[in-house]
Amino acid sequence: MSQKMLLPNGFKKVGWFFLVPSAVLGFIRMISDLEQRLSLKTKVFALYNGEFLSSEKQFGVINTDITNTVIGTVFILGALMIGFSKEKKEDEFIANLRLSSLLWAVWVNYILLLLSFIFIYGTGFLSVMIYNMFTVMIIFIGRFNFILFKNKMSSPNEK
Amino acid sequence: MKNNLKVERAIHNLTQEELAQKVSVSRQTIHAIETNKYVPSTILSLKIAHIFNKPLEEIFTLEETD
Repeated sequence: MSQKMLLPNGFKKVGWFFLVPSAVLGFIRMISDLEQRLSLKTKVFALYNGEFLSSEKQFGVINTDITNTVIGTVFILGALMIGFSKEKKEDEFIANLRLSSLLWAVWVNYILLLLSFIFIYGTGFLSVMIYNMFTVMIIFIGRFNFILFKNKMSSPNEK
Repeated sequence: MKNNLKVERAIHNLTQEELAQKVSVSRQTIHAIETNKYVPSTILSLKIAHIFNKPLEEIFTLEETD
């Protein structure tokens, strides 16, 4: 009963080391105005760069602040490692939980997005779009681990 | 689907953990099957039947809702 498309169990721990710091930094950046103080301006290769009130550029090296890029990349890598690594004992029941949690997460995410679409306007919606890039994975990881934990707690080793 | 895994386990004097190891799944999986929270795959059902040395139908039986 091998599980394809899953990383080895060891990646799970590494994932948390990626996810927690980037989530904290990203959240602080979202709610405060660290943008001025914390910036990593450097030259990067861009497939496309379109800036407000200036010409757009394709396939070129640009000079820009990559803080968001770094935080976002580390967060996504961390979330993928946590969400899609094997459990210590990966079996069909766990695989079933994983898939149902993923379905649940997509449902919840899009219901939340739908509500935001209907009720949130203007610059607030920009924040919604930014959060929404990460919420599917956050909801999925939360739900999956909660159910796993609940199962562990409610199953004493019976004779 | 109903099952009498718990009874069979008692007859063979196996804990959930021991049975889990024999069919290479986690203990939670055995618990989930026993409490009817999870219906095992054909492969796992056959493995379990093999451990208890009984035909599949003597361990797992269909319910009216199935």
